[in-house]
Amino acid sequence: MPDAPSIHLENVTLRRGGRRVLDAVSLAITERRVGLIGTNGSGKSSLVRLLNGLLAADEGRVTVHGLDAKAQAGELPGKVGFIFQNPDHQIIFPTVAEEVAFSLEQAGLPRREAARQAVPALARFDRAHWAERPVHALSEGEKQFLCIIAVLVMEPAVLILDEPFSSLDLPTRRRLETLVAGLPQQVILVAHELDAFALYERVIWLHEGRVAMDGPPAAVIAAYRAFAEGLA
Amino acid sequence: MISLYLPQRTWLHAVPAGWKLLALALISLIAAPLDSLPFMAALMVAVLALYVSLGKAALAQIALLRPLWPLFLILLALHGWNGDILLGIVVLARILAMVLLANAVTMTTRMDAMMDAVEPLLGPLAWVGVAPRAVALAVALMIRLIPLLFALWEALNDSWRARTGKRGGWRLLAPFCIQTLRLSHHTAEALAARGGAPRRGRR
Amino acid sequence: MKDRTLVQVALYAAIFAVLGLLPRFDLPFAAGVPITAQSMGAMLAGVMLGAWRGALAMVLLLFVVALGAPLLAGGRGGLGVFFTPSVGFIFGWIAVAFVAGWIMQALRRAPVFPAALIAAVIGGIVVMYAFGIAGMALVGGLTVMDATKACLIFIPGDAIKAVLVALIAQTVARGLPEALLSRNA
Repeated sequence: MPDAPSIHLENVTLRRGGRRVLDAVSLAITERRVGLIGTNGSGKSSLVRLLNGLLAADEGRVTVHGLDAKAQAGELPGKVGFIFQNPDHQIIFPTVAEEVAFSLEQAGLPRREAARQAVPALARFDRAHWAERPVHALSEGEKQFLCIIAVLVMEPAVLILDEPFSSLDLPTRRRLETLVAGLPQQVILVAHELDAFALYERVIWLHEGRVAMDGPPAAVIAAYRAFAEGLA
Repeated sequence: MISLYLPQRTWLHAVPAGWKLLALALISLIAAPLDSLPFMAALMVAVLALYVSLGKAALAQIALLRPLWPLFLILLALHGWNGDILLGIVVLARILAMVLLANAVTMTTRMDAMMDAVEPLLGPLAWVGVAPRAVALAVALMIRLIPLLFALWEALNDSWRARTGKRGGWRLLAPFCIQTLRLSHHTAEALAARGGAPRRGRR
Repeated sequence: MKDRTLVQVALYAAIFAVLGLLPRFDLPFAAGVPITAQSMGAMLAGVMLGAWRGALAMVLLLFVVALGAPLLAGGRGGLGVFFTPSVGFIFGWIAVAFVAGWIMQALRRAPVFPAALIAAVIGGIVVMYAFGIAGMALVGGLTVMDATKACLIFIPGDAIKAVLVALIAQTVARGLPEALLSRNA
């Protein structure tokens, strides 16, 4: 990664339907492994969508690795890879090779070249034998893995995972966590599985559109657990 | 992917898709205005000879025309009623020959080869703001969505049956539309996250 | 074209295909009459997506069928279907979706059920049969009168489908109003 991992939010406010989904949030994220937690509706998903240009802030400024999220929104998808909760919603093509080739094409390769490079790209993840498989024949975990491969071949500097484990069994989840742990990219993980953050450098707890707590995983998660028990 | 394509290779597989399409277009242009029984009989014989040369698997595909028989009978009856049964036979022979000929092209041409052959024709779409690559993307996305929508329909049907013991049938269509629209919203977002659909002026 | 438009167009083309591949529905009032749900797909595309997007969905569907995918009811497809006497109906779906969508947009302020019913009846019956009968006459070498006779038996089924489409539109409007894109475009 040539550039230092640095994501900055300055006084960012986001409104949707009259509600403040994010309320004057300021964050400087320079760590390489960052977790984002909070209850449903706390603003986690909205916050990460600002980083990829899927949403634009109403107030404040967002910069991602030197790119202004508003002025340079067109360049963000190449810089920030995004993995969603449901792999079925993000796989566009009927076969594995086509899905990967599309990413290569989006990254700037000419079409024929992208089609040729798809199998070598899969081979880098030891999945060359998947190339001709129809995607609907893959298991849930395999589909999520394919989504991650398809994003990684675009060589992003940041990888955002928005609740990627929700429909996965524990062994599959562990395999993907190990894969993600070994990546050179800056990783921002949104998850409800609190044990996923054990080796992370920093965890941010969002509550009602504001940062409730921010720091080392152990302390933030302990506080979040206590808060959740209090609600139950 | 589901396809009418015949995997066993024949000599017609080796003919480039563009030529096959051109030949089909030319023959249909000649045959369409011609109401000549000898011509249609000759065309019919030629088409059957073509199928014989393509082998058993191709001949078996003629059975695909079975659903058309009732319509053919109605056509023949109407022409007979008007006292011109000969014209009816000419019309029927033309339809049969052209459908079989067109099917022969489909049977011996892979979908991606067909796509490549017609792509130059999509060029002018760029003038109205549609990138040819967006067409390829829409085709792939549609084919990808079909098994997904099946699974969604099955899931809705199961939850209907779990509570009523009956098949949902047409009553599932409204919830189906709502759920598929939600799905399309997520898919569009994921597409945007990877840089979006190709636009005019971009590669 | 926006990403969302592209996905919606692909979605309704796929819905049309799925309607033809599902096991036959038991339509109310029409027990025993074989009716495929497929032509509902054209009315639905127009009523739900509006004129342009609905028509594009049908263009996309026909394009993929022409490429060789057997997506029409009963597993039909490929170039052959464009040479049958039904070709008028097949190309008619594009016009069906466009007209139904256009009426839906024009009647934006009317209640959903009557608006969708008018859209489905004019698009899915008047327009579809105009195209269908023309195709039948041209390819089948028939007079318009005879071609009309050959097509009439299907009209009751399509009338039921138009009512169903209107019911579906109304249910969707209650469940997720923004899903009726023809109304908030």
